[in-house]
Amino acid sequence: MTLPAAENGSIECRDLSYRYPGASVDALHSIDLTFEQGRLYSLLGRNGSGKSTLAMCLSGLLLPSRGSVTSVGYDTRDESGEDDTDIRGRLGIVFQDPDTQMVAMSVEEEVAFGPENLGLKRDTIRSRVESVLDRVGIEELRTRQPLRLSQGQKQLTAIAGALAMEPSFLISDESTSMLDHASRSRIVELFKGLRDEGMGVIHVTHFIGEAVGADHVVVLDAGRVALQGPPAEVLSDPERLVALGLEPLPVTSVAAELKRRGFEVPAGILHGKELLAWLRG
Amino acid sequence: MAERLSLQGVSYSYPLPGKGEVPALRDVTLAIEPGEVMCVAGSNGSGKSTLARICAGIVTADGGVLEYGGVAIEGRKALRSLRFSVGLLFQSPEDQLFADTVERDIAFGPRNRGTKGDDLDRVVKESAEHVGLDLELLQRSPFSLSGGEKRRVALAGVLAMEPEVLVLDEPFIGLDHEGREKLKDSLRRYRESRGASMLIVSHDLADAWPLADRFALLAGGELRALESKEELLESGSDLAELGMALPQWGELAKMLSEAGHPATDVSDPSSLAEAAAAMLEANRGRR
Amino acid sequence: MAVADITIGQYLAKPTALHDVDPRLKLLAVVTGTVMIFLYTSGWSLLAFALLLLAILAVSGVPLLKVIVSLRAVWVIVLITALLQFFLTPGRIVASWGFLTITEAGLYNGIIFSSRVIVLVILLAGLTMTTPPLKLADALESVLKPLRLLKIPIERVTTVVSITLMFIPNILEQSRKVVRAQMARGADFESANLFRRVRDVVPVLVPLFVKVFNDAQQLATAMDARAYRGGRGRTRLYPLKLGVLPTILTLLFVGVTIGLRFIF
Repeated sequence: MTLPAAENGSIECRDLSYRYPGASVDALHSIDLTFEQGRLYSLLGRNGSGKSTLAMCLSGLLLPSRGSVTSVGYDTRDESGEDDTDIRGRLGIVFQDPDTQMVAMSVEEEVAFGPENLGLKRDTIRSRVESVLDRVGIEELRTRQPLRLSQGQKQLTAIAGALAMEPSFLISDESTSMLDHASRSRIVELFKGLRDEGMGVIHVTHFIGEAVGADHVVVLDAGRVALQGPPAEVLSDPERLVALGLEPLPVTSVAAELKRRGFEVPAGILHGKELLAWLRG
Repeated sequence: MAERLSLQGVSYSYPLPGKGEVPALRDVTLAIEPGEVMCVAGSNGSGKSTLARICAGIVTADGGVLEYGGVAIEGRKALRSLRFSVGLLFQSPEDQLFADTVERDIAFGPRNRGTKGDDLDRVVKESAEHVGLDLELLQRSPFSLSGGEKRRVALAGVLAMEPEVLVLDEPFIGLDHEGREKLKDSLRRYRESRGASMLIVSHDLADAWPLADRFALLAGGELRALESKEELLESGSDLAELGMALPQWGELAKMLSEAGHPATDVSDPSSLAEAAAAMLEANRGRR
Repeated sequence: MAVADITIGQYLAKPTALHDVDPRLKLLAVVTGTVMIFLYTSGWSLLAFALLLLAILAVSGVPLLKVIVSLRAVWVIVLITALLQFFLTPGRIVASWGFLTITEAGLYNGIIFSSRVIVLVILLAGLTMTTPPLKLADALESVLKPLRLLKIPIERVTTVVSITLMFIPNILEQSRKVVRAQMARGADFESANLFRRVRDVVPVLVPLFVKVFNDAQQLATAMDARAYRGGRGRTRLYPLKLGVLPTILTLLFVGVTIGLRFIF
């Protein structure tokens, strides 16, 4: 699967603020963030912290109330007219509910939907569908009706549909929230693979375990950036995370408890195996 | 106070056009003791939702016996009376809100049972308290509430019917950490106040872990294991094969236990830290 | 649990001969059929048309059992309208109980009207079972293209139509879920008390509308995210192809359908 050349391959938020119509407070307030291609980002935060709103602003589906979002060279406010196919093609987004993303009666046509809307030639569409079905690992579902698949399969189909547009970034707006454990793992592995291939992946989630493999973690609270950094830093402070409404990794709680008792636990332990290895000495 | 709900050799199949009869449950035998919380876990297609529906009396088993309080549930009359004792909470319960005020929505269930006047007011207020809902919200429209508040209203609506057994079908899906904690607290409070039993269907063991007394693991419609937390940690039940995983602290607890330092409470970080500290001491001693 | 096949408007995964026919032809056939069903003055025309329709569906491989099952949803309306016709149409009295009388004209009208509705449902089921909503939207747009000259936003119209069609199974599934949940709260949909049954419709309709509306918005956003702007500028992986044989057969069907009006 080919990726477009990274001309201006980043998404930049400058003083981004967003307020829903009729709301009394900002859902997002003065956000300054930059997202690069080839990296996996995890956006965490309790419900209502603004993480989904941020995802929608990054993709251009919501326009900033104040400030700006420049996605792969386009200011999202310039691209809100009839011809915003360019920005839609460059930023793929998948949502939380698998059922309200399916439009076609076969997985093949579902995946072709985006490229069809971009007005691509039939041969191009066909080859893209082939390579994406292969990449995501759902070729055997090609002729199946999307609405009759399992929730996990539907989300994989939705992701394939977004990838078929060959975006520079893939934004996942809590796409794993309604899935079972096995499907969630599969999708997170897929995100890691896409990151390795050069795509920028921004994964909004409330499962902390899914942030462990990210390159950079951003935690939102009440519409602002409360914490950000590499997972080893951000996720290893359990008290801070609890204050932000998140459930810390048990390993970090145990490590913090050991620290409190005077042991010098190495920093940045996020996996049970690491802790155990250290315990063994 | 709840009674014993038991299933003996229960089976259920449903017709699928073009594929004949698909077995959803095969010869399942288990019992939920009064006041017990049982987590029914399994991956997609394991039959756990069907099991929940049979226990709630909205689906009739093809084979086997369902008993409540020692009385076999057979025939429409018995099923209907079972429904009065068993409350059922579906996935995304907030999708069923309809009334113009929160109070009226919660009152819907008890009113259908004939509860009126002061009794009705009492039960509505009690349910709102059980779920941690601010009494100020009672006169607001349910549609003006946040997602978490809506879910609490929906749960209150079911609890207001004062069920002895509460069946919940994937209640934690889509909830964040706070939402999950609040739900668990509500369930604990209700269980304490009424001695209710609970059947929690979940694909994720972590969700019901702190609440559950026992876990029924289903795969392919069959009951593969019926174990307590401790047994699950010790046993060889190959969870990966069943499409599930131990919650992370479970993995940690297991590793500590295998290393010779079992924790006293597997879901408490302090207790795990104790065990870890003990292990460190032991290793330092050896050096 | 298998979302036990909700048949109305439910697209058939197993392809029939009709699946490959250009949706514009099917649209033409259905529109002609719909109009003529209500223009037939003789019961024989209606019967002949019904038989022709069933024969075409059967020969194409559409499982007739599923078609009949799709009638389940409308039998209530059909029954009520028929009864109203039986009892309220003036004419020569054929039977009576107390103050209720059935007239010959009422009997005839009732049966004819019910039959019209039944045949119409079969016709529409035949269309929706063999045509994906997106393709139907394409066909509609293609046919309504000349209206663009009058500045009518046909893209919006066809998008709405296709999303509505896509949502029929969703609406049915949602209503079942809501009915189940409210039944678990003691709502009685089997009560003999008609007043209670009517009153308990509100707890089903309100959440149903709210959910379907929200779902539709989400779907529209998802389509927007994949650059959907209606049919303009859109290429098709599987473009619509009229085909000589299907076109001839469709025109024959249209001809016969219209002709039946004059034969009887």
